Amino acid sequence: MTDLEFIQIIDRTYPWFPPAFDRDSIGIDLSNANYDSDLGQDIIEGVGFQAQMAESLGYDGVLIFEQHGHPLALFGNALTGAAWLSGITKDISIGAIGPMMNNYQSPVRLAEEIAIVDTVSRGRLIVGLPMGIGAQYHAIGTANPAHARERYEEGLALLDRIWNEDGAFPWEGEYFHIPNVNLWPRPIQKPRPRVFIPAAGSIESLKVAAKYRFTYQAVAVPGPKLKANIQLFKDLCNEEGYEADPSQIILVTGFFLGETQKEAERELVRHAAWNMQNIMRYATHESFPPGHVSMESLRSMLDGGYRSKGNDPGAVREMPAFGNTPEQVVEIIKEQAEEYGAGGFIVGGAFSLPNWLAHKQMQIFAEEVMPHFRPEGKPRWARQPKPGWTSASERVGRNPHYGGMPEVEIPGRGRLPLFETDPLE
Amino acid sequence: MTEQVTEKKPSWGLYEPAEHVDVHGVDVAYRRKGEGEPVLYLHGLGLTRRWLPFHEALAQGSDVIAPEQPGFGETPRQDWIKDWSDVVLHTVEFADVLGLERFHLVGYSFGGWLAAEIAAFYPERLKSLTLITPFGLRVEGHTPADIYRMTYDPFMDRCLNDRRDEFSDYVDEGGEMETRLQSYAEISALGRVAWNPRYDYKLERRLARVTAPALVIGVDDDRILPREHVDRYAELLPNARKAIVSGTEHPTGHGVVAQEPQLLADEILTTVKGR
Repeated sequence: MTDLEFIQIIDRTYPWFPPAFDRDSIGIDLSNANYDSDLGQDIIEGVGFQAQMAESLGYDGVLIFEQHGHPLALFGNALTGAAWLSGITKDISIGAIGPMMNNYQSPVRLAEEIAIVDTVSRGRLIVGLPMGIGAQYHAIGTANPAHARERYEEGLALLDRIWNEDGAFPWEGEYFHIPNVNLWPRPIQKPRPRVFIPAAGSIESLKVAAKYRFTYQAVAVPGPKLKANIQLFKDLCNEEGYEADPSQIILVTGFFLGETQKEAERELVRHAAWNMQNIMRYATHESFPPGHVSMESLRSMLDGGYRSKGNDPGAVREMPAFGNTPEQVVEIIKEQAEEYGAGGFIVGGAFSLPNWLAHKQMQIFAEEVMPHFRPEGKPRWARQPKPGWTSASERVGRNPHYGGMPEVEIPGRGRLPLFETDPLE
Repeated sequence: MTEQVTEKKPSWGLYEPAEHVDVHGVDVAYRRKGEGEPVLYLHGLGLTRRWLPFHEALAQGSDVIAPEQPGFGETPRQDWIKDWSDVVLHTVEFADVLGLERFHLVGYSFGGWLAAEIAAFYPERLKSLTLITPFGLRVEGHTPADIYRMTYDPFMDRCLNDRRDEFSDYVDEGGEMETRLQSYAEISALGRVAWNPRYDYKLERRLARVTAPALVIGVDDDRILPREHVDRYAELLPNARKAIVSGTEHPTGHGVVAQEPQLLADEILTTVKGR
């Protein structure tokens, strides 16, 4: 049995904006005058509902994305979303994809947020550290896209030291100068939470993932290109002196499941089409703000016929994962896992589904697909030991490392141990 | 480290081979023609790799020196350029290498911003300063067009007031793909120093240092940069006059350099010659 990890995307789109067929972009400047907080509350709370559903259905993890300035996903800071999700779930892993390093003035601030969310979730955090798609840079105003790659890579190098060295130490870089880097608290996962690097195939991103032994989150691209990307990632890991572990390759894919093909068409085709027409719909040049890609990459993408999102509802039925029976999906997953050497899948449906329909999709997948890829049908969190402790007794039994014992100075009695002293004696 | 930005095929109109000079390790492409007072001309976005009718008109009454900034035209991009101070120093070093002790400085659009920065730091080097539809200031309520959200064609449409088709010699960079790549290379070079903020509020104070005669040129219908920026520069420069170069047949726009080269050159030469 191939043992695979399944992470469900639970982000939801705020769909109540004027149909945007004539707009170049749904990001950046689609006015938030279209936002209603009552409707928004429903969308956002639905994300929490789906997280709880996913946990009860036995998914290994759930995942939200950081997005800015548009209605397609509503967590401007995926880590605040992850903190909330960790409070309303108990066991399931929580993926916060974002945060964009370049939105932080200091990587230390990012490291602090990661550590606290990792701690309050008891080691369930997966953090995605993308450079950030180009369109985001128009709407957030922190970093310059023409410096983004350099600043991002310096920030990752600093995070790597933060996670692997004791503080305080100085950081003297080009973008950051921090005289005393000293992270409090530190993450509960050692030495750090799992890190995903989402990439459609940029060699720079794959290099980063290989260098720091992060997980390559393989954004869906056509098969031959995906295969080439994954081989490149494996080669880069070899250059770093190790073999890529299957857990370092996770494929992003989507399934639209129904009891029957006809039922899937009836319930899902309109959502699949709406998603294709709206999600991440940016004019091409807005995806490439100045300096965001190298000239070589841009030439290669333009030569390859890169274009903006399509607007062909008919194309949805051609999608390989649309309207398959669960049995067919099992075969697709088996084949893809073998072909690409992947250790897991990030599974998405449509961001516009009402909760009941999302629940139906997830339930069919959980009951009829996932059990084929795990012993006794159990998610990883039900099989593997967790970081941290769950009771006071366990905390003591784990023999924690005390860096020092606090003392207090009592007049007339000198310095005494803080927790073992009766000052009135 | 340098990056070759595009193939260089002189297949477009107005192409003129460049001279090259080494400026502290940077292979700077520049064009120079004419006799008389030295005029250092700083380009904006686009219209590089050419000797323009405007250059020619200016060269009828002065010694025009037109370098291409790193990442623009045929001068390779430089990774060490991080902000305006690097570009200011590089440009002054270029002048030093060419032996230009004092010169008339003319800057167009973003080149106008650069010229204003150079003027603020090196006022003693200037015989005069001319700013043509210059970026660089923050003028409340008058935000320029967001050029970073445009491809080159719509940008040039705006610059040329929807008459881009009449200026194909100016805007073609050797085919559709090459034009797209070249324009991305140039806007990326600009973005490195002028993405955020897209102004230098410190110029408000610093421009008082510029005592040389100054000329600030506006146009009839600028669809990129509001006229108020021209007005504000003229207020801030202590020894400035303002001029509007109007079109003979059509209203002038941000692309006045292409639209009315002779009128523009005449106006500048008036200042250069101290008339």
